[in-house]
Amino acid sequence: MISSESAGAIERHYGSVESRTNFGVVILASVGAALVGAGIILLIAHNWDDLSRAARTVIAFIPLLIAQALVVFTLMRRSESRPWREAVAIFDVAAVATAISLISQTYQIQGSFADFMRVWLLLSLPIVYLLRTTLGACVYLIGTIVWLFAHEIGIFVRSPDPMFFWVLFLLIVPYFLLRFLEDRGSRETAALAIMVTIALAFGLGFSTGFAKTDFGGVAFAGLMTAIYLCGIKFFPQTDDRLHIVALLGGIGIGVTAIVLSFESNWHMSREFFWGARSFHGNIAIALEFLFPIVAVCLAARDVFRRRVEFSLVAAVFPIVTAITWGIANLCETQAAQNVYGTNCSFAAAAIINCYALWLGIDILTRGIRSDSIARANFGLILIAALAISRFFDSELSFVTRGLGFIVVGAGFLVANILLFKKRSAAAA
Amino acid sequence: MKNIRLAIFILVALAQLSVPALMAWTRVRTLAEGRVWKFKTAPIDPEDAVRGRYVMLRLDAEDFTQSEQLKSIDSIYAILKEGPDGFAQVDHLSPSPVPADSSMKVEPGGWWQERQHIVLPFRYFWLTENSAPAAEAAYRENSRRGQQNAYVTVRIRNGDAALEQLYINNKPLVEYLRAQASEKK
Repeated sequence: MISSESAGAIERHYGSVESRTNFGVVILASVGAALVGAGIILLIAHNWDDLSRAARTVIAFIPLLIAQALVVFTLMRRSESRPWREAVAIFDVAAVATAISLISQTYQIQGSFADFMRVWLLLSLPIVYLLRTTLGACVYLIGTIVWLFAHEIGIFVRSPDPMFFWVLFLLIVPYFLLRFLEDRGSRETAALAIMVTIALAFGLGFSTGFAKTDFGGVAFAGLMTAIYLCGIKFFPQTDDRLHIVALLGGIGIGVTAIVLSFESNWHMSREFFWGARSFHGNIAIALEFLFPIVAVCLAARDVFRRRVEFSLVAAVFPIVTAITWGIANLCETQAAQNVYGTNCSFAAAAIINCYALWLGIDILTRGIRSDSIARANFGLILIAALAISRFFDSELSFVTRGLGFIVVGAGFLVANILLFKKRSAAAA
Repeated sequence: MKNIRLAIFILVALAQLSVPALMAWTRVRTLAEGRVWKFKTAPIDPEDAVRGRYVMLRLDAEDFTQSEQLKSIDSIYAILKEGPDGFAQVDHLSPSPVPADSSMKVEPGGWWQERQHIVLPFRYFWLTENSAPAAEAAYRENSRRGQQNAYVTVRIRNGDAALEQLYINNKPLVEYLRAQASEKK
């Protein structure tokens, strides 16, 4: 007889082996499909010179028609096979790009890379839903980031309107929610969540540049805190470890705090606007406010319910940044014609420096308390990064800087010795 | 569920086919019915001419005199006129594509001492890998200061501008390259 516990363990073991094999097949099938697609393009390109425009036009559509026939076959006969779905999706998406590129080349159609990416993404998006391909969704999100860069580089205007990114981004959100509701604990959902997080960060970065306000720091503090809180709330873990999304958010909070600890980020210099801000500009500003508000609401909800499972110090980051922003704007001055600045940048940077130190100490003590070497060291890395930043940034004497480094280094050693001692005592 | 997916995919497949098909169809009509304009190529930086499988075009008409700097607007059109030498010149810039067979959408560039730079939508002349090196040499030789023997023909119809041919020494590029090759033999 096998006990229910052993049965569960066996099921978990074989289940994970099966999912790993399946994942391997998916990757191999996708790479195979991409190679076959590339091979077809090369074969076509071989005799390109001798073909008439009409012949080239017909040939440009052949890979797409084959891919579409395969999609129909997969939908009818192989709908439950993940390798088939993923591979055929990649083939179809590549075939769309091939057809557009070959037609563009044949008819000398110029167009910008950003325009090409936009059309390609919109034509590929339904395939993600129809073939339920998470790999495709990840590639789509990478494509939206590529579009942002292509759009920025391709246009002569400084900080061109990136707001179409949010349309592209919102179009993939329902797929992410479907995956999340189906199986939030799977590796696939985690991979997609990572890509969503990265895309959000890039999207917000370009949008703050376009909004031309000085609120970008608060917006980023809000985004990273919201990601951290969402990671803890929506991806709960049975053990004490953080889900990858919460971890990314936590690292994001640390990095943003270090970046904002530089005084140069608090000069609040911005250009004066002539005329009314465009509708898209207003949406960009609304987005800057959205993320800090979401983060504060998420944290407040749990605080009022007395169910705080996150670091309060990390959760207050957007509030601290917003207060700092307010202080920096208290003494606004006009530095030059059409350019505004502040005299309170030192005070603002000092507040963020104190906050970053507080955050580092909080993570360190939480790490020691929960016996997590990784977390404790992350807290120390944060403090060390802060120390290094001030080493380059401030006008402190060499003796003060040297003493500072010795203190931080000793902190590293003591914390790690304490943790290892605690562990070996527990093991004994 | 399977049938719904299939029905949606048929719509998606039609969209995927229609985008390149429409691109080709618009160009076929412009190339057949559009008004022909000749653009003289500008002297080029030799290192920049061919990158992989296209000739990077620089056109004379992309720089012209304009007393005022461009105001920032979303889209801008170049209204063309024919110069005394038969080559196209930019008459003026306009926010609307009128008249339809003499205007095309352009990208604004820099303005310096009453000279406005724009980028016409013909930056690349696509080639095959085999002909690229010879085309590079020919374009470079004929787009030097003092020896500007290269030009492109463009057809414009209802604001749609299609690059038709690159001419070197009054011969289409492929013909010119063939003649050069047979001369060498």
